[in-house]
This record gives sequence, structure tokens and C-alpha cells, in this order.
Amino acid sequence: MLEEPVRILIAAAICWLNFVTVDLIFKLPEKGGVIGATAIAEQVEATGGNKNGGFMMGNIVSSPDASAGTLLAACGVYCSGLFGGLFAAVLVYIGNRICYDPGYAGTTGCLTATLIVYGAVQSGWFAASDFIAGMVIAILTIQGISSMYASRLIGRLWRIRSRFIRAGRP
Amino acid sequence: MIAIVVCAVLAVYAGLRVVTERNTMKKLPFVNVISFGVAGVIALLLPHPLTILAAAAYFVGSTLESNAIASTWAGGMRRDD
Repeated sequence: MLEEPVRILIAAAICWLNFVTVDLIFKLPEKGGVIGATAIAEQVEATGGNKNGGFMMGNIVSSPDASAGTLLAACGVYCSGLFGGLFAAVLVYIGNRICYDPGYAGTTGCLTATLIVYGAVQSGWFAASDFIAGMVIAILTIQGISSMYASRLIGRLWRIRSRFIRAGRP
Repeated sequence: MIAIVVCAVLAVYAGLRVVTERNTMKKLPFVNVISFGVAGVIALLLPHPLTILAAAAYFVGSTLESNAIASTWAGGMRRDD
């Protein structure tokens, strides 16, 4: 096993890839799910950011998405193994329904994260606690450092994702 | 041990950013980071099967609050009376 700080940084990168990929697949940067998410996107755009990136940031704030799913999956696996991660997926789905969201992104992100975290713990390379701290670092890079640069990065990834939509694929 | 310190320090950092940020709508992403940090600390402090319920309840409640603040600030639902 590597040193704990190194494991946490690798786990942060894995968590970041998991939640950004799932959120892009479920088109979170396309539009605001609720009026509050749209308002956040407008503010981000007004201060030099990208509107699509702002939509994703607003949607993450307004409803448990794949990032919340990844965090709670890591917490579930840490507390009670594979069953805990699957139970977290049920809780994320309920949380999504409370926040007027269909809930596919959050639940899918939670299930993929459960498999990743459980697999990583079983391999012996990581502890589940690495992924909890890693996910907090991963969300910090999107929500907590600079809304302008984070939204531009997501906007760039969204342009790549939208090519597939224009080509007629989902 | 390092994991719990990372979660707590990042939550405090996000708290300071909430205080220093002037624009209300732009405070909310930092509130989101606090929720992540505190939910992580809850799980790491209490390794018990039921802890996942507490962490999820805290996290969903906090998200719903942010949702309500953002929607109200953006105009919310119109009332005719």
C-alpha cells in the first residue's frame, strides 16, 4: 500500500473522472434542472464563466448528482462494505426525488462509484476513507476554487459531449 | 487520520470562502463543498452501518436548503394574493 496522502490524491483523480463522466453522460451541463440552478449559471456567466459549466455547477448545488453519489458510495463502503454502497444508492435516489430531480445521474454515479471503491478496497491498494477525502478534494476543484475557470473547463468538456448529441446519438 | 483532517480543513476553507464571497448565488457552490466535507467527517468519525443514513440525511437536507435558497433568490414561485 502506498502512503496515505498519495492514495488520497489518486482516489481524488478517480472520483473526479467518475462523477464528471457520469454527469456529462446524463447531460447535466445542458440546462438548469430547477430555477435556482439556472440562476447560478447566469451569475457564473455574468462573472466571466461558461454558461454550460454554470448549469452543471447549479445542478450539483441543487440536487444530489453523481458527485454526491460518489461521496455517499465511499461513505457506504467505508461503513458497511458493498451493501453499504448499494444502500447509499437507494438513499441518493430518495434524495433526488425530494429535490425534484429524476435521479438517474446520482443513482448511476453512486452505483459505479460503489463498484470502483469496493474493487479498489478489495485489491488492497486503497482504503475506503481515501475515497471519502478524495471526493471532497474532487468537488473542491469544481465548486470551491474558481467558478470562472471550473465552468470554462466543464464547458469545454460539454462541447466534446455535444458532438455526440448532434451526431444523433443519445 | 489524514482523510478526516483533509475533509475538515476543506470544509473550514469553504466556510471562509462563503463568508468572503459577496454574491449570494456564488456562495452556494462553497456551501456545497461544506456539505461534502461535513458528510465525509460524519462517516469517518462514526464507522457504523447506520452512519450512512446520518451522512445521507445531512447531505440531502443541506442540498435541499441550497436548492430552496437559490430558487427563492431567483424569484421562486409567483403568488397572486
